[in-house]
Amino acid sequence: MMSEPGLTPIIKEDNVTHSFCGLASVGWLYQKIKDSFFLILGTHTCAHFLQNALGMMIFAKPRFGIALIEECDLSRPDPQLEKVLEEIKADHHPSVIFLLSSCTPEVMKVDFKGLATSLSTPDVPVLFVPASGLVYNFTQAEDSVLQAMIPFCPEAPAGEKNVVFVGSVNDSIADDLRSEAEALGIKVGGFLPESRFDRLPAIGPDTVLAPIQPYLARVVSRLARERKASVLKSLFPFGPTGTRVFWEDLASMFGIEADLREREAAAWQRIAPQCERLKGKKVFLTADTMMELPLARFLKNAGAEVVECSSAYINKKFHARELEALQGTRVVEQPNFHRQLQEIKRDRPDIIVTSLMTANPFVGQGLIVKWSMEFTLMPIHSWSGVFTLANLFVSPMDRREKLPEFDASVWLKGVMPSTEK
Amino acid sequence: MRLAFWLYEGTALHGISRVTNSMKDVHTVYHAPQGDDYITATYTMLERTPDFPGLSISVVRGQDLARGESRLPATLQQVEEHYHPETIVVAPSCSTALLQEDLRQLAMHSGVDPEKILVYDANPFRVQEHEAAEGLFTELVKRAAKKQELTSKPSVNLLGFTSLGFHLRSDLTSLRRILKTLGVEVNVVAPWGASMGDLERLPAAWATIVPYREMGHTAARYLEKEFGTPVLDGIPLGVNPTLKWIHDLLELLNARAPETGAGELAMPPLTEFSLDGMSAPSGVPWFARTADMESFSGKRAFVFGDATHTVGMVKFLKDELGMQIIGAGTYLGVHADWVRQELEGYLPEPLMVTDRFQEVAKKIEDEMPELVCGTQMERHSCRKLDVPCMVISTPTHIENYLIGYYPILGFEGADVLADRVYTSCKLGLEKHLVDFFGDAGLEYEEEEAGAVTATNGSGSPEAAASVAAIDGDGLPWTPDAEKMLKKVPFFVRKKVRKNTENYAREQDLETITEEVFRQAKEALGG
Repeated sequence: MMSEPGLTPIIKEDNVTHSFCGLASVGWLYQKIKDSFFLILGTHTCAHFLQNALGMMIFAKPRFGIALIEECDLSRPDPQLEKVLEEIKADHHPSVIFLLSSCTPEVMKVDFKGLATSLSTPDVPVLFVPASGLVYNFTQAEDSVLQAMIPFCPEAPAGEKNVVFVGSVNDSIADDLRSEAEALGIKVGGFLPESRFDRLPAIGPDTVLAPIQPYLARVVSRLARERKASVLKSLFPFGPTGTRVFWEDLASMFGIEADLREREAAAWQRIAPQCERLKGKKVFLTADTMMELPLARFLKNAGAEVVECSSAYINKKFHARELEALQGTRVVEQPNFHRQLQEIKRDRPDIIVTSLMTANPFVGQGLIVKWSMEFTLMPIHSWSGVFTLANLFVSPMDRREKLPEFDASVWLKGVMPSTEK
Repeated sequence: MRLAFWLYEGTALHGISRVTNSMKDVHTVYHAPQGDDYITATYTMLERTPDFPGLSISVVRGQDLARGESRLPATLQQVEEHYHPETIVVAPSCSTALLQEDLRQLAMHSGVDPEKILVYDANPFRVQEHEAAEGLFTELVKRAAKKQELTSKPSVNLLGFTSLGFHLRSDLTSLRRILKTLGVEVNVVAPWGASMGDLERLPAAWATIVPYREMGHTAARYLEKEFGTPVLDGIPLGVNPTLKWIHDLLELLNARAPETGAGELAMPPLTEFSLDGMSAPSGVPWFARTADMESFSGKRAFVFGDATHTVGMVKFLKDELGMQIIGAGTYLGVHADWVRQELEGYLPEPLMVTDRFQEVAKKIEDEMPELVCGTQMERHSCRKLDVPCMVISTPTHIENYLIGYYPILGFEGADVLADRVYTSCKLGLEKHLVDFFGDAGLEYEEEEAGAVTATNGSGSPEAAASVAAIDGDGLPWTPDAEKMLKKVPFFVRKKVRKNTENYAREQDLETITEEVFRQAKEALGG
């Protein structure tokens, strides 16, 4: 079934707030790509963000750092990074250095592409990654990182037909996806990214790109354009239905007819108790990680009522199938937080999927909250992720029921004097 | 340009938001790119705020810059409509400060009453967290404070208590309890929990108390100059400093008694300051004299933190627990002169002033003190070196935002600190036994210790890395020398290993043999 863009209206509002900028991607990508170094050309703000909001502590040898723009550096539009690079190379011996932009050098109009080219050596390429909060939200900079690596993916010759999964997942999820594909008779070419820069997958005209994260629209369309690869247009592999449709559609691109309906039914059966809990529950997703569309679709399939699904960025083409599956659901791009807050207060949804910044304040209003960031860090892909995915929504409801009655007028006294009358 | 991994001080915006999150009906609007409101998470997560901090962001997107649009007026209108704040602080971030927009003009024509808008454009490249917080708070005090009659009963303002301050709530409780015992009323606590109306009432107090060097001082001096409110700026950290602080306070207040016709305050019996009203107010003076504490005379301590807590702890450790101070430092360069002056005669070497945690870690590694008092980063560095460390200053970790009553200031604060010093250090009699008998049955295999750490959640990668790091730059040891090293008590083993290797390097020896180890022991005095 082909989608017709525009069937699910997307309401566009003014901006996303209470979410992170693209630099947040560093948090998982430096761990994923083990021979990399992530260098942010940025300010005190960038450093403070990484160390506080993401709760990153410095291990013995962190593989990310900030080339700190201080007041004396503002007058120079061409930052001198040679010394910093020497230090990084001596301490870390990376195979690749990702040079991430941030807001201040963007405003200073630093020529990042030229800078990266001039700093690159044949041994250690320096790759420019646009990530600044002027343009990019949260998970979106992963898209930039993957795009930066494209020139280093070997060209696969015509006739070499296989699938390359696009999106960073941990090794155990990657193994799962690989063996699932092979069991269906699909040849696996690899993952973008692999856990090492020197093992990037070959991509060519007979490669099928299967995006496994919903925030990678640009890299996929660029690979389709530059390498003439074909792109899987399906649901994302989250939840029983998403997983079935993903694998069936992928198989059909290899001329394999797969009927996974029984497997889907069995997966729904496994999470029947969770679905029973979710049935009829009103769920509100504020915008944060850009995982919102597939999460909302899973919730809807599970019987919940999604009262609003907001996301920072929606691509009508890349997200076509998810949007189609969300017909009848209120979908908002770049939502206005003040408006959301008012509606949440009025409508009292049963669960709110929201960011670290807003979670406790919503709980303080008596609502049940799930941290959106957890979905980016938990194994929720494909068949093996179904149980975890369902539980992520159910466990905050269960916990609330286990705890005794709570009289906010008593137990919140003095906790936040600035908001007391 | 330098490579930074982690910084002690927060940004100017962080300082501004600490004031905002403390105050009632004050809302800050950041004029900044998407994501710069990450700061909100430090309040909602660390302080577990049950409501939204008064922070909004007028998002600056690349496309708006291209079109020459600003969302600031619309954001101000929305903030006005939804929150009706009394004051709106507008602040640029580092990137938007470079845009040279006229935020005052934009704010003025937003349709929101310009009287309630304060554009606070501290240069984010020059000003950091503490200075920005102090500057904004002073601005707000200047805006609000009005001349008025003194309260009829003796009263004080408590200034400088700010969201995310170190052990803020407990310190406030501890000082409130002392004031109550003295019969002194609290006129206003600010910025924590204060409204602009409360700031207006500041000049009604008989005196202003500012226990923290970093925050509240400028405002207190302003109140002194404009309204004649005297300032008590001592740090009541430790038993004797607390006693002196109480005497100084009584003196200040009693000097004002004639103005109001109120009677003079008298010093109550010290037992009245205790929790049960019938005991000594602190256990520290007796504790410090007990026999097993004698071993503390030989313990060497290094202190690093903000200005207030570095000064307070050095004095406490030396004056009240009788420990040796081998050095101290602060990351707050702007307060370094004050710290030097306060610690005159306390330090065997110049005060260390740096914002590079690697330098502090290096110092600790070179000295291997028996106790480090530091920030979260020193705790982290000390874990790798197996050096006892207690956190005495921001920046801190979520584990420093506990719900129990753990003051640092006042009599009860002295008890808490002494307990923490005691439990952080390796203990007295036990230590003698271990020193004398080697492991004394206390030793567990190093591999096993590693395994214990590994199960301890987030500790594991660090532990693994630290072993690698120490192995990385160490010299090779022969198996016999390793065997000898095993006979050294486990908790000093790392130190002995390091000292032996240093000795070997000085002698240009490349491998530690039994013989080298023996020579080193002799040379280094066992």
